[in-house]
Amino acid sequence: MTKRGDTNLGPDGYTRRQVMRGALAGGAALSLGGLAAACGGGSSSSSGGGGSGGGAGGGSIRIGSFADPAMVPFRDDFLPKFKDDTGITANYSETNYDAWYQNSKTDGLQKSGGYDIYVMDDNWVPEFAAGGIVQSLDQLGLKVNPDILEKGLDQGYWPPKTGPRLKDFANATPELFALVIIDDVQMLYYNKDYFSSPPATWDDVYNVAKTKSNPPKLYGWSPRGVAGNPIVQTYLPLLNAYGGNFANDDWSPGFNGPEGIAALERLFSFIPYMPSSIADYDTTEETALLLQGHCTALTEYTGTAHAVDDPQQSKVVDKIDFAATPKQEISGPAIGTFICGIASGAKNVDGAVKFLEWFTSDAVQKDFAGGGSAAVTGSALRDPTLGSKYRWLPAIADAVDNSIPKPRTPDEPKMEDLLGTALNQALVEAISKKSGYTDIAKSHLNTAAQQISDYLAQQGTY
Amino acid sequence: MAETATVQPRRARRVRLPAGPYLLLLPAAVALAGVSLYPLFYGVRASVTRYLYGRDYGYTGLDNYRHAFDDPFFRDALWTTAKFVVCTVTIETLLGLGLALLVSRELRFSGPIRVGLILPMTIAPVVVGVMWRLIYDSGVGVTDPLFQALGLSAPAMLSHNGTAFIAVVVVDVWEWTPLIFLILLAGLQSLPQEPLEAALVDGAGRVRLFFDHTLPLLTPVLLVAIVLRTIDSIGTFDQIYVLTKGGPGTATRLVSIHAYNTAFLFTQYGMAAAMLLAVLAAVALLMVVAVRMMRRAAR
Amino acid sequence: MSARVHRIGLYGGLALILLIVIFPFWWMVDTSLKHPVDIFGGVTLYPHNPTGDNYSRLFDTYHFGSYLVNSIVVVTISVVVSMTLGTLAAYSLARFPLRFGLNQSALVGSLIVRMIPGILLVIPLYITLARWGLLNTRLGLILIYTGLNTSFVIWMMQSFIAEIPRDIEEAAMVDGDSRLSALWRVVIPLAAPGLAATAIFSVIATYNDFLIALSLTSTPKAQTVPVGVSTLIGKIQIEFGPMAAAGVIGAIPIIIFALLVQRHFVRGLTLGAVK
Repeated sequence: MTKRGDTNLGPDGYTRRQVMRGALAGGAALSLGGLAAACGGGSSSSSGGGGSGGGAGGGSIRIGSFADPAMVPFRDDFLPKFKDDTGITANYSETNYDAWYQNSKTDGLQKSGGYDIYVMDDNWVPEFAAGGIVQSLDQLGLKVNPDILEKGLDQGYWPPKTGPRLKDFANATPELFALVIIDDVQMLYYNKDYFSSPPATWDDVYNVAKTKSNPPKLYGWSPRGVAGNPIVQTYLPLLNAYGGNFANDDWSPGFNGPEGIAALERLFSFIPYMPSSIADYDTTEETALLLQGHCTALTEYTGTAHAVDDPQQSKVVDKIDFAATPKQEISGPAIGTFICGIASGAKNVDGAVKFLEWFTSDAVQKDFAGGGSAAVTGSALRDPTLGSKYRWLPAIADAVDNSIPKPRTPDEPKMEDLLGTALNQALVEAISKKSGYTDIAKSHLNTAAQQISDYLAQQGTY
Repeated sequence: MAETATVQPRRARRVRLPAGPYLLLLPAAVALAGVSLYPLFYGVRASVTRYLYGRDYGYTGLDNYRHAFDDPFFRDALWTTAKFVVCTVTIETLLGLGLALLVSRELRFSGPIRVGLILPMTIAPVVVGVMWRLIYDSGVGVTDPLFQALGLSAPAMLSHNGTAFIAVVVVDVWEWTPLIFLILLAGLQSLPQEPLEAALVDGAGRVRLFFDHTLPLLTPVLLVAIVLRTIDSIGTFDQIYVLTKGGPGTATRLVSIHAYNTAFLFTQYGMAAAMLLAVLAAVALLMVVAVRMMRRAAR
Repeated sequence: MSARVHRIGLYGGLALILLIVIFPFWWMVDTSLKHPVDIFGGVTLYPHNPTGDNYSRLFDTYHFGSYLVNSIVVVTISVVVSMTLGTLAAYSLARFPLRFGLNQSALVGSLIVRMIPGILLVIPLYITLARWGLLNTRLGLILIYTGLNTSFVIWMMQSFIAEIPRDIEEAAMVDGDSRLSALWRVVIPLAAPGLAATAIFSVIATYNDFLIALSLTSTPKAQTVPVGVSTLIGKIQIEFGPMAAAGVIGAIPIIIFALLVQRHFVRGLTLGAVK
């Protein structure tokens, strides 16, 4: 081997030139990117990729959303229709729910303007409105369709029109910050084969469970039992029906009194007629039980309605009917709409306003319901022709009218987590002990109440 | 000149400091700094900020740290994570070592065997979580029918606190033992052969060969594998989140899940940053110790 | 005789282990070929009523083709660059005594970079990429992943290189090689198993990264496979059929890569050449 020619040898036998060349070549691009980013220089530029039309009206708008089966008709059928009707192109992107929540929030807080419209889950409204992530639709002059069912519409107001308020917003006038586009609300799904008439009360459901169920072939009830948000959704229709509240008007917990305890005991009473592993059940398992024909009834949001008559997903085609969630004193389903806000940094505000007005107009909503979707206007949901084709539509309208909103605060998910963990552990205990339900319910509900009170006190805004 | 340079022991020389070794480090250092400096700065700043309505509401000193450590759920999560990491890393190391020793011999089909054994870690953790959910799930999975077929009662693993924990440990072991196996296999294949051959000639039995010769030589690589796996294990998130969401109750709620919920669900980004930085600091300390051990073992 | 029993035991044991290891994978393939109504319809080891629907929906409705391309491009470039940078740095740390205790602190430092939880990374990185217009771009992801991967490439390669005795390089340099060419001609081939292991690990870690890709991309223009898979997890429900199909398709590039690289685990080929 001959020596390399370079005379500039360091003591270890390599050449500085060689090393520098190689190292710099590799590091150049990264240094620039990394250093510059770390220094935070440069002008702000829009993010998001996929332009948003500028200026006053026309051009295009950018809508971002989380992926969900309910958004499929929206994306595939209605965005093109919007272009046909108004000439404005709606660019749509969707991603996983958790990611979209983060990204839309960061986009809004930074006012990056990557989107014009955020499709939101309704419990994001308090945070997005209070945090200035979405703009006030009232101040933008958006005209609200009066036919939109009121309780669905109310979800978009901040501060809320009814219910407890955060201290900082105690005296503010409610303004509309987000407009509902899908009325996702809880309903009772029941299998006609086992009910001689539509069940109206929890006693009705219980009696069928007791007399007709035959575990493990047929169960009388199927809930979501996973700790946190899922089991709270199971509990709310019960709690509301028994006259309790998630949070009272002064933010004190309303579920550890006699009403809340009775509601939880009612859930426990179904234990002999439910699978023993429900502490792990989420929507997928819960609805699978119904769709496979192994369950007489359950409460769930509207998302599963389509599946009941789809032979690729259901073995009980044409057998499932819908009603309001069962009463005890009242029927009180929880409501969780898909709701749209206009981004704080939106580039085409006029186009966005136009879109929201267009989508919630009577004609478009009727079209939307025409595909079986949970429209938001009374005329669409209660249309007799559509109702005979999709029997869940009128049930959705009734459910919305009866619905009870969840407490409006950015801390609501934390409250759900605390209550949901306690409920789950109560359920696990009740299933293993099979008795002493009252004490189990009392102790866990009190624990959750204490934890929630402590947390709210720590936050200092109640 | 060159001859003298190679014969002299390295440590004695102090005369001229060649820039070369530092230049070799430079591009990597730039890459690492670029991706970590701002996030660390941002995280530290967030941890001393109060977040209200999801946004920055001003300096709040060490309140976030205090609230985090007062939070029984956080302390719970720390304990659960510690249990999880110790169980998984121990089992994975032992299994991985055993498999590597087995496969490093002359075997037929060693190629397909190797690929088969690393299959679990090729699947995205999110998908792993979903698939194991389908296996464990009491309504639709194979676990319960399997137990019943064997005459045992159906465990319904995900609906009881204790068994859910075991369930997630099993998933992690299934998924990551292949990594340890891979690293140790590479390590074994790179070992210099003469010491081992000499020992065999001297009549050493297989077990003695392993403990007296192979293991000491393998220790640096072994420590690398353990350290890497420990770090990743602490941050386990995707598969558990999909499998149990941290439940039932808080049985499988690792720090990563609790921090994730705190940051993104409960809008308390500052508190989450405090939690994660506290854990990061503790683990960094452990790592310093581990690196010292490694250096000593390499000598 | 006992050697034979021994061998049967060995292969039998391996077969059993392989069975356990591969079963969930088979379960995933099985699920991917079933209709939703069959997935929940009871336990069957093979699909009685197979359907390609999940796969076709994956590519039509869910843009999986784009996700695959993005993943492959991003992973390839970032792994190649990070392996280069990292191996050079690892070589330096393994062979030279450096000032300021860098040999140890650089290792710890790179490990700390790896330890930063994704949750702490995503928001600042989002802000950074947004400032540079790199959100939802492959380049943005490449830059980030290169930085993150370099950390464990250094960590892993450092120990593999340290395992190789110095005499071999020094022999080559006595023969006239410069240090860098000794590195290239002698050390690298000897470190092949280590490089292969590091490469596989890098590829898998980058390919399967979820949180970062999730936060920094928003359309199929740049979204990667794990992000694509996650869109199948709806607000309250998981689409098991397409998810399983996604898992199968998603694993294929990695398996191909592993098949290509695994031959470097064979010892002897490399040592022999140098001797």
